[in-house]
Parts: sequence; C-alpha cells; structure tokens
Amino acid sequence: MKTITLQVSRFDPAVDAEPHFEEYAVRVNEGARVLHALHAVRDGHDPTLTYRYCCGSGQCGSCAVRVDGKPVLACMEEARDGMTVEPLDLPVLKDLTVDMEPVIAKIARICPAPDAVLPAKEEIEAIKPLRDCIECLCCVSACPALQVTDFAGPTVIRQEMRLALDPRDSGDRIADAIAKGLFYCTTCKRCTEVCPKEIDIPGKAIEKLREIANRRGLTLPRHREVARLVQETGRSVERTQPTFLEQVPEVIEPDGPVRGEVGFFVGCMFNGRVPQTALDAMEVMKRNGIRVIVPHDQVCCGSPLIRTGQTSFVEDLKKKNIEAFARRGIATVMTICAGCGATLKNDYETPFEVKDVTEILTEYGIEPTARLDVTATYHDPCHLLRGQGISEQPRALLREAVREFVEMPTQCCGAGGGVRSGVPEEAKALGAKRDECVKATGADVVVTVCPFCEFHIADCTDVPVKNLTTILLEGYRKKDAEREGSA
Amino acid sequence: MVLYNAPTNKMHADEIVDAHVLVVGSGGAGVRAAIEASRYGDVVMVSKTIAGKGGCTTMAEGGYNAVLRDRDSVDVHREDTLKGGAYLNDPALVDALVREAPERMADLVRWGAVFDVTEDREIAQRPFGGQRFPRTCYAGDRTGHEMIMTLLDRLDATDTHLYQEVSVVDLVKDENGAVAGAIALDRDGDVVLFRADATVLATGGGTQVYDISTNSAAGTGDGFAMGYRAGAELIDMEMIQFHPTGAVYPYDARGRLVTEAVRGEGGILLNARRERFMKRYDPDRMELSTRDVVARAIATEVLEGRGTNRGGVYLDVTHLPAEKIETRLPVMLEQFLAYGVDIRREPMEVAPTAHHIMGGLRITPECRTTLPGLFACGEVAGGVHGANRLGGNALAETQVFGKRAGESAGKAPARNGRFDEGAIDEQLRMLDGFFEGAISPADVRRDLKLTMWNQAGIFRNAPDLRTALGHVRRLADQRLCAASTANLLECCTVRNMCTTASLIVRCALLRPENRGAHVRLDAEIATDPATSPFSHTYVSLAREGIERREVTA
Repeated sequence: MKTITLQVSRFDPAVDAEPHFEEYAVRVNEGARVLHALHAVRDGHDPTLTYRYCCGSGQCGSCAVRVDGKPVLACMEEARDGMTVEPLDLPVLKDLTVDMEPVIAKIARICPAPDAVLPAKEEIEAIKPLRDCIECLCCVSACPALQVTDFAGPTVIRQEMRLALDPRDSGDRIADAIAKGLFYCTTCKRCTEVCPKEIDIPGKAIEKLREIANRRGLTLPRHREVARLVQETGRSVERTQPTFLEQVPEVIEPDGPVRGEVGFFVGCMFNGRVPQTALDAMEVMKRNGIRVIVPHDQVCCGSPLIRTGQTSFVEDLKKKNIEAFARRGIATVMTICAGCGATLKNDYETPFEVKDVTEILTEYGIEPTARLDVTATYHDPCHLLRGQGISEQPRALLREAVREFVEMPTQCCGAGGGVRSGVPEEAKALGAKRDECVKATGADVVVTVCPFCEFHIADCTDVPVKNLTTILLEGYRKKDAEREGSA
Repeated sequence: MVLYNAPTNKMHADEIVDAHVLVVGSGGAGVRAAIEASRYGDVVMVSKTIAGKGGCTTMAEGGYNAVLRDRDSVDVHREDTLKGGAYLNDPALVDALVREAPERMADLVRWGAVFDVTEDREIAQRPFGGQRFPRTCYAGDRTGHEMIMTLLDRLDATDTHLYQEVSVVDLVKDENGAVAGAIALDRDGDVVLFRADATVLATGGGTQVYDISTNSAAGTGDGFAMGYRAGAELIDMEMIQFHPTGAVYPYDARGRLVTEAVRGEGGILLNARRERFMKRYDPDRMELSTRDVVARAIATEVLEGRGTNRGGVYLDVTHLPAEKIETRLPVMLEQFLAYGVDIRREPMEVAPTAHHIMGGLRITPECRTTLPGLFACGEVAGGVHGANRLGGNALAETQVFGKRAGESAGKAPARNGRFDEGAIDEQLRMLDGFFEGAISPADVRRDLKLTMWNQAGIFRNAPDLRTALGHVRRLADQRLCAASTANLLECCTVRNMCTTASLIVRCALLRPENRGAHVRLDAEIATDPATSPFSHTYVSLAREGIERREVTA
C-alpha cells in the first residue's frame, strides 16, 4: 500500500456555481488505477463523490475522465501521486459524470437492407479497426474542432465510415458525414492519441470518407482548386515570387569539411510561399558541415490531396518524388515541413530514410549558437508531434539558442486537414486560441518547425512566429557579430 | 414525475410510467427481449447503466456457440452442454438453446454484426472447452461488445422507450399477487414507478458478491434478490462458475477475465515448476477441459504449493505467432500491456475467479417464472447450464432466451390490476429508513465479498457454509446508511448482494454431493453426474430443498 494525494474536480449543480478542486490523500495498492483511487476517496472520505464506472477492464467506456488534462479510462490509467482528476470536456452532470447521451445519440445506427448477407472476409477485415470503439468519448473531449464548430465528434465520423464499409448498410453515409462536419477535421490526430483503442480516425475514417465524397463530386470548391493547381503545376502553392528551387543549385556544399549528406524535400510552402525560411535553413546546414542535395524535379508530396480525399493522382506524385531522390542515390531525405515529413514517413513507401531537420541536426550535433536575448515558446506541429512522434529534439535545440524557453499547452493551430482553405472561419477561431496561449506565456517569439503552422499562427497573433532554423541562423549571426565586435 | 420531498424527508411517488412490457436490464438478453416484445406493444427498457456499458455481455470476450456446419449437429451440442453441465441442466431449456442458437446468430448477422468470417464467407468458429466441435463464433476477443452494439442498433429501430441510469430496486405486484411493474431510482435517487402487463427480468449475474470476480460493477445479483423478495422460486443457486483464468495482479485488477479464447487459440497452462499440469487432471482434453475441472486443477496446484509467488499459475501463448495474438486476442494483449506484461513474450499469471451464476429464477422454455406476470432470461434465469456452463453458451443463451422472453411477455394479456399501494408505501419507508442507517454500505460490501470468497468459494464444507450464512445474515440485518439521496441506490445494491449471497450459501448447504462447479469437501455421498439421484436445489420465500429424480441406469 502507498499514500497518494489527488485533486478531484467537484461540482454539484444544486449547490455550486462552478466546479472546484478538492484534495484527498488516500491509501491505494501498488499498481492501483485512477478508478481505485476514486473508490478510496468515496469509501474513505466522501460517499457522495459521483463518477461512472462499470467493467473495470477497459471494455465498456463508462469511466473516462481527464487526468492531468488528458482524457483516459480511469480503470486503465495508473494512479499517480499529485494527479488532478477532472470530468471530460462535456457538460458536467455532477462531479466527474458528464452528459454522454447526446453525443452517443449522434453515433449512427446501421440500416440493414432487407436482403443483407454476410460480408466477405476482406470487408469484415476493413471494418474491424473501426469497430473497436467503446464510446468512451475521450476523442470528443479532446478534439480541437469541437471547441469552435458544431463538429459532431471524431467517433461519430468513425461510425459513418464503419457503416460506409458495410455492404449490409443502406444509409447515405457521405451525406450524413458531411452534415456532421466531415470537413471540420484538421487531421491533427489528437483523437487517436487519446483513444484507448488507438483507432486512427483521421486516417481510416475522415480521409477515406473524404475520398468517397470526392468521387461523388462533393469535395469543397477551395480544395478542388488546390487539386487543380497541383495537377497543373506540380505544386499546391501558386508562384508569386522566385521559388526556393529557382534560387538554389542542385548541390549545396557546406562551408567546411563535409560531415554528412542529405537530400532535401522542400515542400510547396517553403518553395513558393516562404522560400526565405528554407534559404535560412540551408545556411544552418552549410555551417554545420552537411551537404544538401536538392533534386529540382521534386513535386508536391500529395499531403493536401490525401488529407482532403483527392487521391486520384497522388500515386503519380509519389512516384515522381521517390524517383527524384532514389535516382541520385540519396540515403536520407530531410524535411523541414512537418506535413511533408509525416506524409513521406506514413503515406509513402520509400527506398530512403526520411528525417525531420530537427532529427538530422540532433544526430549530427550542431555548432552552438549565441543565445538570442528573447523568451521563446514552442508550438508543436501536429504532423511532427503525432505524425512523426517528435517533441524533444526541437525543444532541446531551442533551449540552447534563446535566453529563456517557456512551454505552452499543445493544441492544433487549425490550419491542417484542408481547414485553412476549406473552412477558414474554423481555422481562424482555432488560431485565435493559439494566440491566447501564446499571450499567456509572455513569450517574445513563437517557434515552430512547420511552415503551415508558422504561416497560420502568424496570421492569428501579433507575436513574431519563426521557424526553428531561422532562430538558429539568427543565433549564428549574433555569434559572428559578437566575435567581430570583440576582434 | 416523481419527487423526493426534501423538507419532510419523506419519499413519495406521484407519477407512473406505463407500458405493455417492462424489460429490466440492458445486456444481451434484455435488449433482445425488448426487440422481440416491441413487436407486440409498448416496451419500456430500464437500464441501471448507460445502455451498452453495463452488464457482462459487453465484456464477454470469447464467443457464441452455434451449430453452423454440416459436420456438427445440434445433438452433439446438446450432449456437450448436458455433459458439461453434469446432467443438472433442464433438458427442455438445453433443447431450445442448441436448436435456436443458429437462428439467433443469423439475426445478429442480418442486423449488422461484424463477426469474424472465413475465406469461404462462413462465420468463423474456434474451439472452446468441453465441446467436441469448434462451434464458438467470435468477433476477435470482443464478441459480446460486437453483439451489444448490434443489438442496440436494432433496438433503436423499434419504439422501445429507454430509461438509462435508472435502477429498479424492487418488483411491484398488483392486488392479485401478479408482478405488475417495478419501483426504481434515477441518477439523483428520485423514485420512478413503472407499471406493465408483463415484466421481463434480464438483470444478469451477480458474482460481485465474491471478492475475486470477473463481473462488471453492475453484476450485483439484483435480479436474483428482487425475484426472491417478490416470491419467485430460484434453482441451483449454489452453482457458481469459477472461471479458471482470472488476472492475479496488480491487486486491484485481480479476477479480471482472461478469456478462454486464449486456451482456445492454443494457450497452455504451466505451474511454477513449468509442468503442464492439466495432464494430471484431464489428459484427453487438457487445457480445453470444462471450466469446473480447469478451475479446480489450478486451485489445487496453488493450494499444494506449485503456484507462482503471487498465487497463480502461468498461462502461456508465447509459442503462438505474434500476428495471431494481435488479431485473435487484441483485448488481452492491450490489457496485459497496460500492466507491463507483453503476452507475446512472457506468460500471463492466472488464477480462478468467480464468473457466472448457473442458477437463477426457475423458468419454463417460454421464460415464465413461478410468478404470474414475471418472465426471466439470461444469467438471472436458472436451469440452462446445469452445474457448469460451457464457454460460449452464455452469449447464445442471451439471444435464444431473450427472444423467447420478449415474445412470451409481448403476448401476455393486458392486465387491469392495480399496484398494491401498501407494498409501495412499504418500499418508500424502506428507502427512507436508509437516511437513518448507521453503517456504510461500502463496509458491508467488503465484508460480504471476503466472506463469500473464503467460506463459499471453490472448495466448500458445511461448517464453513454455516458460518458464512450466519455472517451474511448478520450483514443483511445491518442498517445501511445513505449519505445522500443519490446514495440510496448503493444501499439497495448492497441489500441485493446480501440476499443473493444468502441464496448461494443456502443452496450450497442443500446439495450434499459434488456436482459440476459445486464441490463439497465433506460430501458423504459419492454420486456420478449422469446417475445422481439429486436434481435442482430450490429456494423461495415459501420453501427450500433439493429435488430427487429417477435415473434409469
């Protein structure tokens, strides 16, 4: 047995205007779960503590709560000393119980055709990954789109795809899914991260439903424009200025001895919209002895098309890109765009390794910069954090380059999944939430590693937003200036 | 609606929900009953949890037994079930089970269930204990969850009125003594009355009366207790299935079900000396012997000092391909990983855990109980499984008897009887009394569970059972205390647990033989299951005893 202290959110609508925390110290067994700590509070301190639970083994989805802010099943999450336990981010009935029924009521029911027969094995196998849902509503609690739109919720869309895959179902699942907010999803994958069953709702439901919608001509007009642009130009961004590729040779040699060599997958944002950032990054690579090979025949990675369900010619793009790098015998391809990186890593089968710039720089080790005299915060790009599992490397690099580093809560900026172009008011509302977080940190600069996040957050806040490589370059310039000044 | 009148501190009920059929319970049997009954008239279903989240169907992992192949036959399924049940089963109920399980499976498939299928587009089947043909249909190891999701889809297409998080606390009779509805508490502890022409009890099991149990928190035996208090007769309540493989650690996860599918897919049992000990208990069927045999084998290994330090044995699947474990046993993989055990690389530790109550309300094949107006189906009913249930027969039972109960209740005549007002007043006084109680229901619950595990568990004897009965009765007499209106339900639940526990112990004392799951170390009469002169134990407000039967040798 051990003693742990926990903060539990209490709320009785008959008495309280708003929820408040109560602290309890309880004795629990080794390996006790959050649920057992709640039992200990109820049985030892306050029998009126209200929370739901039933199966105790992660199968019924009754007991989801937020522990230290993250939605989890109380019966599966290990109890920690000092933890806070709050209800899911849904209307609270009492203490830790929330009103689940209105959300569950939105989850579609199958409408079997009268002549329904047993599906074939491959049909069953396709449905199964979407069938594990226990309707715990962790995803609904965590989804950023729900904070600013009337999106019905990740698991609601999951069910639409489960039904779309079932030959027995007679409903129109695409119309339903669109009505329930199919195009509101930013594909940030926060739902998958908190799902006790790890269901990949963006990849296996949202994007697949958008594909079917696309085949029926129901893709949003703004998304169709992007697809047309990619088809015609190979790029998702219109040329309004000299592009990155127009400004650099195929091989960028480092200043000093060659310590390593990477191919650079530029991506449309860096190439067309913010080429200066990519040029800054090249300076950082040169300074650190890394030769960069930039095949000029590379094209859009296809991410804007895959996320919006417009996949008809994505295979051509993949083939072109893979050939562009493979033909030059490149073993490691670097991305600086989180979206391109996640796409190359997760949607491609490449004969070369793909690494984010922060992985490359961390592995090789970089020349220390001078510390910039600023307080910086870091925005986790969804496609870097969850798409590639990278969170530590950029922070480690940033901490060394600035006077002070402060964390801010992680949340999608609102730009991804075609939302910035397709549902701009949602993107703006989520961007405004980022601005609130940025302001709360008091930081002088927001740093990130995704041009899409950078561009969007910059639109939503008056605090400067910069790519990490730009910060590094500024650090080197400061270092050089100090050196010259002292010389 | 119904009010709790705070200023006078008195409960009263002034509005009543009317229905043709009232279904109490939202597991597989209850939902199936409601679906069927809705063809005949207004149905109200009352669920003490959010529908789909309570009960044991949702948690059922392994599968559903049904004869689907030409090489199998309902006769073999019948024989397997009777033999597995130590010939204590009611043959007419077994007959209905094995004949109709395939049709009810077809219903589920027609309604959209996602069962695993073979390359040849047939429902896939796996081997389960005590069966001579692999006839257990499955959806990975979340079969029950698949069923309940499908059933709720289907229920939604009917006009059934669903009351969620409303808990029936007792049945209510009319002035003629027929069951005419129920009294319930909602989430806040306010009273709700339901009046119906026919009431279906589908409240599931109750092995939460044991310290170590696979049951969800909802498995508190409410239906056994409510049926008993209303005057129904129950049979074979001593027949508690101890599932052989429950988790052993961490402490708070003890008893959690480790599905029989683990052994069905090829898992082997080893003691601490790494001996495959089942060869000493059932060399023919080994790990796939019936649950009573395997549970006793494990308990014996542990008692005789060949168990692990934590008091279990090993269940090992490390010899199976990782891919098979990932696709056939994903829930097991996930649950053990959460506790730091990767079952692809290391064995699980398991020990028996109270799983299922074979006994229950005595029913006819039409699911009539001994009380007019009351029907029962699913685990709360007795007689289908005899002295030991085969894995995979419970999910089949929910569907076969759920449909039968729904149909019988649906066809029941309209009744004009009035609620027995005196009985309702008595209920309200009883609820009121909890505000003046003295002892915490949590304390009584803890004490009860330990008593049952220690003195009415796998191995039994008369002195222990008598001690247990005395203690359970003392606990039942405690004046439970409700800390708030919302806590009234907890008092009612603990009261039900005490009643169910006393029924188990009383029946265990009535049966002097070893039969299936019931082992009396002090049995003076040696009987063979097939020729035992004993049949059902029975217990009701009016009488208790054990039936004798003529056996033709």
